[in-house]
Amino acid sequence: MSMRELVEELRERTAAAREGGSEGARARHAARGKLLVRDRVDLLLDPGSALLELSPLAADGLYDDDVPGAGIVTGVGRVSGRACVIVANDATVKGGTYYPLTVKKHLRAQEVARANRLPCIYLVDSGGGYLPLQDEVFPDREHFGRIFFNQANLSAAGIPQVAAVLGSCTAGGAYIPAMCDETVIVRNQGTIFLGGPPLVKAATGEIVTAEELGGGDVHARRSGVVDHLAQDDAEAVEIVRSIVATFERPVTPSLRQHPIEEPAADPSGLYDLVPVDPRTPYDVREVIARIADASAFQEFKALYGQTLVCGFARIWGFPVGIVANNGILFSESALKGAHFVQVCNQRGIPLVFLQNISGFMVGKRYENEGIARDGAKLVTAVACSVVPKLTVVIGGSFGAGNYGMCGRAYDPRFLWMWPNARIAIMGGEQAASVLATIRRDGIEAAGEVWSPADEEAFRAPLREQYAEQSSAYYSTARLWDDGIIDPVDTRRVLGLGLAVAANAPVREPSYGVFRM
Amino acid sequence: MCRTAPLPPITTFGSLLVANRGEIALRVMRSAKSLGLRTIAVYSDADREAPHVRAADDAVRIGPGPAPQSYLSVSAILEAAERTGADAIHPGYGFLSERPELARAAQAAGLVFVGPPADVIDLMGRKDRARAFAVAAGLRVLPSVPVDELLRAPDALGFPLVVKATAGGGGKGMRVVRAPADVAEAVAAARREALGAFGDQSLIAERFVDVGRHIEVQVIGDRYGSVVHLGERDCSPQRRHQKVLEESPAPTITDRVRADVTEAAVALARSVGYSNAGTVEFLLDGDDAFFLEMNTRLQVEHPVTELVTGQDLVSLQLVVADGHPLPIEQADVQSLGHAIEARVYAEDPFAGFLPQAGTATFVRWTGRVRVDAAVESGQVVGTDYDPMLGKVIAYGPTREAARLALVDALDDSAILGLPTNLGFVRTLAASAGFRDASIHTTWIDDQQEERRPRGQTAAAVIAAWTLATASGPRSDPFDQGDGWRLAGEPVGTSVELLVGGSARTFVVHRDGRVSDGIVAWTVVPIAVDGPAVRLEIDGVAHRAFVRVGSDRVEVSLRGQCWPFPRRGTGRATVHGEQRTGVVLAPMPGTLTTIRVALNEPVGPDDVLGVLEAMKMEFPLVAGIAGRVSSIRAAAGTQVDMGTPLFVVETDERP
Repeated sequence: MSMRELVEELRERTAAAREGGSEGARARHAARGKLLVRDRVDLLLDPGSALLELSPLAADGLYDDDVPGAGIVTGVGRVSGRACVIVANDATVKGGTYYPLTVKKHLRAQEVARANRLPCIYLVDSGGGYLPLQDEVFPDREHFGRIFFNQANLSAAGIPQVAAVLGSCTAGGAYIPAMCDETVIVRNQGTIFLGGPPLVKAATGEIVTAEELGGGDVHARRSGVVDHLAQDDAEAVEIVRSIVATFERPVTPSLRQHPIEEPAADPSGLYDLVPVDPRTPYDVREVIARIADASAFQEFKALYGQTLVCGFARIWGFPVGIVANNGILFSESALKGAHFVQVCNQRGIPLVFLQNISGFMVGKRYENEGIARDGAKLVTAVACSVVPKLTVVIGGSFGAGNYGMCGRAYDPRFLWMWPNARIAIMGGEQAASVLATIRRDGIEAAGEVWSPADEEAFRAPLREQYAEQSSAYYSTARLWDDGIIDPVDTRRVLGLGLAVAANAPVREPSYGVFRM
Repeated sequence: MCRTAPLPPITTFGSLLVANRGEIALRVMRSAKSLGLRTIAVYSDADREAPHVRAADDAVRIGPGPAPQSYLSVSAILEAAERTGADAIHPGYGFLSERPELARAAQAAGLVFVGPPADVIDLMGRKDRARAFAVAAGLRVLPSVPVDELLRAPDALGFPLVVKATAGGGGKGMRVVRAPADVAEAVAAARREALGAFGDQSLIAERFVDVGRHIEVQVIGDRYGSVVHLGERDCSPQRRHQKVLEESPAPTITDRVRADVTEAAVALARSVGYSNAGTVEFLLDGDDAFFLEMNTRLQVEHPVTELVTGQDLVSLQLVVADGHPLPIEQADVQSLGHAIEARVYAEDPFAGFLPQAGTATFVRWTGRVRVDAAVESGQVVGTDYDPMLGKVIAYGPTREAARLALVDALDDSAILGLPTNLGFVRTLAASAGFRDASIHTTWIDDQQEERRPRGQTAAAVIAAWTLATASGPRSDPFDQGDGWRLAGEPVGTSVELLVGGSARTFVVHRDGRVSDGIVAWTVVPIAVDGPAVRLEIDGVAHRAFVRVGSDRVEVSLRGQCWPFPRRGTGRATVHGEQRTGVVLAPMPGTLTTIRVALNEPVGPDDVLGVLEAMKMEFPLVAGIAGRVSSIRAAAGTQVDMGTPLFVVETDERP
């Protein structure tokens, strides 16, 4: 497939996920006078504001494809002039209940809020944890309880927490509004209770309606669980907007923003110049020219370690240090990268990693020269970076190259993938070869013969498995990234990411031991 | 081509106090300065920052805002002249311009009064005496009877007839009567108005010509008996007897009629011993010209005469006031081409032409034609003075050229912030009726509904597009106004406006698509230069002036100002108390009084009962309008906090 076809596929799959629940579920939702989740978010945002949605294809291909977007919409957008993290349940998807990936997506949004110091707005309409998968959503550290742990600690860190209860808010979910600084509820629509009417009846025999048990009037007038009573979704959202307008604590941007210049090279050229097959080499500077302001790129150590391109540029006026793969990583490339990352940390310049890496060079000469030692230097420098890091996987993301190039484990503020991106511990062919060699050794040690046909029968499913598991969709479904993006949107997405990152101060850099 | 004779230098006075304000004060100062005079402005407290104050060499405060205590106070004007050492006074038009008291007081103080002798002002200022004088001078007048006789015999004059204040002008104290039964009431009303406006309730009654044309002749004379006319003006397009469009020459009269009226005007001026500038007004019924009145001052519409004759009327006034003989003879006066003036008022043409007040948030006067105006952006337009904001005067070699230039000039002008007749007068100027000159003095009042402004939808689209796109350079990538979405097409910018009273949501996309959910438009910006916005909407180019305010967007399109209140931009009121109709006990206490009965209708502020607690009395207020559907406790009952005491049911949604 060409890049254009890949982008078309991405559009179609995203459009399907955007629909949310079934037509019937959406109709029932609307019949209750409730707005669909994306309409709620649109209404909440400032007119014309961009929405940097996170992982819209979460849970794609999982749970029988029954939980589009993992039943929750998360992202960053402007509300009353302030960039906020928005977490909004989609009640048309399984009643907004929390599947394992729903929890993961919710926690990821809170992590974005923490790392970038963004206020959180929760538009709650959820039946709580998805009971059939309770073992995957309830007990562990990164499970449901972590949501409230985060709310408490975000609030403690001065990051406002606001909720609008627009539907059910049951059981553990009841703590989402209860843990907020300020909360709105919609009358005759939002409910908050630890146990719903059926549970109450089962436990005590008391017969009570949902509204009597935990409706808007009850919580606004009697219980004090909420602070504002709204007549409908639109009013609730307007009240939330006015609450955000009271966040007076000023944001001092940690990044300087220069005047914005469009790239001189047309970004739509990315469709044609980037080979879809990660094995085909091309000059990554062509990509940089279509991302950077005025296509201007001030290269660092251009003549040294040439398989890693490093240099300074601006994106949407924000200064960045770009680290981009331009071939396999050698010791020199790793040393250059470590040096450049340190320079950017010294200067307070955010880092943008353009990942397209099949790995570090292997072989006797390179091992003997200590490539692992040099690779470790790059990994240390990246891991200990204090400046914001943004990663875009524009091709392959394999092996230790993923680490040195700021993969998900290295806490980039955001990580996005192009639709052609592949991510795995190694390529499918290599994995099949390694495993086949080990197996052949075992078979032959036992004095038996492994026929080429048998070997192929062994290798093929491995190759298939790797092919499936290394796709961008497999990755984004599991939240290994923050979303698959159209390459042409890369500049905008990075600009948004940098604008988000600028909300949090940058501390002084310090590093672990660099193995010399 | 120069058609003006070189003017002699002013010798008897070196400074001129302009006892007026607004555009006419500026106009007079312009000529005065060109003749080397020091100019002195007077101003009231309401005008401290007005343009005429800035334009003058010196300026003096003459009193508080209300005109009787400032611009209408002869003593204040004279005192100002004394304080500033003024040598001469020009009264402009309106205010004291036709009060012989000012002319006399000026003369007594040794000042030159730029206008006719006081006695002439006095004579012509009384409609009854002026009428008698005109008859004596051989002019025709409309049939008239004394008002007392009319009251006794309402049919004495036939119908329609008009009663008007003898001391009046400008349509004040004037009533048209069409049936005998209405005579008494019209006379009473005209008297009341006359008394209020002029301090004199005497009236005259004349036959009224419904489809007449208003023709007037500009004259100027010197102290030595010379009088020349500068041609005629047609001021037929009037609303409620106030001129709106004025032109010269008159488009419909024959040369014979033209000769009749100009000769009659000169004869009248000569016989009364007129000097300085004046205007003789006639009503034309077919080819018969009837004398109406003589205005002993410079007219509002004098610029059209200046444009076709090339004469500077104010300079001529100053020269003859200086004692020079008229520097021109009748043969020097030639009318060339055509000029049309449109008066711009702060008034609502669709609400009875009621004067409007407010802040002119944005004012643009065209640079393409002559504009005499003194209103600028940010100026407060009050109700203390005449609501005229300015005049747009276009000239062309033919009437049609002048008319098209006027329409263009009005399109190129805009006033935002308060209702004006700019769009209305533009519609008039562009109308077939005015083009064909088939207009008469009650034409505007007859066909008012047809001139309802059009273009509201285009203006709303311009407002929505401007609001969505124009808010300065935006650096924040979140704030590009495109509604960018990572997961889908951009949603654009939603703009909620009240259009004609109903809320409409426009979605504006960066690529120029604009939609209100029913209709879609394609907008292409041609040029946006501050408030001047040129947009193509569905292939049609529009030029508009737009002001985006925090609570409203105003668009001026073809002179018409469209205000669109914004919605969804203000902060929501975060209610402390939601009104549900259930009235709860605010405190634990005793319900001491119940003031309503079951099913009694109540308003939101009505007190339903009183709760006594902690030695305090708490009124229990309904909160919403409706009927008392339930009273939950008896008087004297001890109740807990939060106990429902009353329920009010409303017809509104639950």
